[in-house]
Amino acid sequence: MVSTVPLVSIKNLTVRYGSFVALNNFSCDIEPGCTGLLGPNGAGKTTLLKTILGFVKPAEGGGDILGLDLHSNGKAIRQRVGLMPEQDCHIPGLSAVGFVAYAGELAGMPGDQALRRAHEVLEYSGLGEARYRNVETFSTGMKQRIKLAQAMIHGPKLLLLDEPTNGLDPRGREEMLDLIKDISHGKGVNVLISSHLLPDIERVCDRVVVVLKGQLVSQGKIKDLKAIEGQPLDVDLRESSEEFVVKMRDKGAYAAPLHRTTYRVQVAGTREHAIATVLQAALESNAQVRGVKLAERSLEDAFLEAIQS
Amino acid sequence: MSTTETTRSSSPIADLSYRHYDGPLDSVSARWWCIARMTMQMATKKRGFWGWSICSAWWYIILLAIFWFMDNLSGGLATSGPGTNIFLKQIIWKDQILHAFSYSQLFLMIVALLVGVSTIANDNRSNALLVYLSKPCSRFDYVFGKWLGIFLLITGVSLVPMMIFYAYGYMSFQDYGFWTQSPWLFLKLIFVSAASGAIHASLAIGVSSLFNQGRLASATYAGLYFFSNIFTFIVYGFHVAAVAGGNKAPEIFRTLYYCSIDGIQIGMAKLIIGTNSSPVFPVTGGPGRGRRGGPEISQADLIVHAPFVGIMVPLFLFLVASGFLVAWSRVKAVEVV
Repeated sequence: MVSTVPLVSIKNLTVRYGSFVALNNFSCDIEPGCTGLLGPNGAGKTTLLKTILGFVKPAEGGGDILGLDLHSNGKAIRQRVGLMPEQDCHIPGLSAVGFVAYAGELAGMPGDQALRRAHEVLEYSGLGEARYRNVETFSTGMKQRIKLAQAMIHGPKLLLLDEPTNGLDPRGREEMLDLIKDISHGKGVNVLISSHLLPDIERVCDRVVVVLKGQLVSQGKIKDLKAIEGQPLDVDLRESSEEFVVKMRDKGAYAAPLHRTTYRVQVAGTREHAIATVLQAALESNAQVRGVKLAERSLEDAFLEAIQS
Repeated sequence: MSTTETTRSSSPIADLSYRHYDGPLDSVSARWWCIARMTMQMATKKRGFWGWSICSAWWYIILLAIFWFMDNLSGGLATSGPGTNIFLKQIIWKDQILHAFSYSQLFLMIVALLVGVSTIANDNRSNALLVYLSKPCSRFDYVFGKWLGIFLLITGVSLVPMMIFYAYGYMSFQDYGFWTQSPWLFLKLIFVSAASGAIHASLAIGVSSLFNQGRLASATYAGLYFFSNIFTFIVYGFHVAAVAGGNKAPEIFRTLYYCSIDGIQIGMAKLIIGTNSSPVFPVTGGPGRGRRGGPEISQADLIVHAPFVGIMVPLFLFLVASGFLVAWSRVKAVEVV
């Protein structure tokens, strides 16, 4: 049974930098799994990460991170959380394995365990062959991987990834997303990804939290956000057929061409009734149905709608 | 091709499955020790550290050779058995250690450059604070860990040759007052070395935190060292001129002479050991001709006495604290993410 106790529970959080309000009465729950943190620049995503890590003292409100109060448990929270920052970062003068092992020791791992685990996570991150190289000689893609390795060395329950695919070429991006998806599904690690790249979020995350001007705009499962009101269907025919549209409309349904041989239809009643109506209309119009699926918006459309509303 | 497939093909015998770490984690307190330990590990991996550390003991090595020679090979100086060597009888042992400590200053500064002055600057360049502060480390842990690592190294580099010399003297020169001249010298030397370590550590991290380039930080620290030394040389020049002219050197020289990185350490050493110092060797301390027919002066006359406690100790504490606080104020967790 999947736990539904929120990993992060923020209640009425207000964070100010001088007179500027970065988060304004912000509340949200981040549930186990992989969650995307979306929002335009200056929305308050980074401030939220800082607050979760205990770097920023909220002016008002509070919350629990993995069951720990964020006001008084900054260090304990950081011991249970891993951060993969957006910028390149390493400790100069160390090899990859030395760097990752040191990150583990900083998190409180005993030295021998940290070294053993560093080898494991470097292999897992795809840096096994480069583990004895100085980190300063790494390519951008390798630096991204080692940032992920140092973040998960101590087995954090929650990984915060800030723009994890920044600066990666298409293949590197694919590999990084595969890695994130792998670790965030069935490995006991929960992931919160802050990114501007909606396709990345859509590919690896189950849920999103949308932030705008320091306030929560929307949160929930991606498939729920993408769902269209009334649950229309997208019907794919073998060939385009005007008659199919006419027959559907004759049956009191909404039907309109969407893209080449695809039509969007909406029938009142149950989904089974809607599909039966589609098949009947196809039969009557001699159209061959090749596929029927629940229509949904792109995440980008859902994001823009959430922001504009 | 997925990542797992890619890496598996490059490492055919590696176990690439992810296993969650559920082993022990130490308490989140005292993370500074982990940082101090790594600072020391990284420094001691440098060959230069060992080379310059050995160089810093050069005068101790010369002293050991001289005293061994005087004790064992110059039988003519000992008139009748142990404790009668006329050279060794004139030696003030604590002053000999003070001289060796003074002559090691340049090398201690080079060791400080190697182990500490670039440490925070290089971390700034490579955004290492992102790593440190996203782990259960506070700003204090980071700054104090860096400080402690440098402090222990410099203290060790200063203390080890002192202790070797002390051990040799204790075992060989009891008849010449090695113990009786200063019974607590052993403890005092530890404090002398610790003062040296503290001033270098604080100034090093203070300067280092102001830069993003290790080389710039090192150049600045070296500049600070040499310019402050030039200033004290000038002060010493006035002091010598005053003494050679038959006048009493102004008391202010006793403060200004110690206003350098070297000077503070030597001044503190004089206060801790409890000496005004003496000529390097008794045979070189004889009277000489004064300037333009002035009064005869000896090397002892040219020695600047120990600084005033009421000025030197607060100055020392101020520099140690301010170097630490500068570094502490420059490290900001809020700028990490």
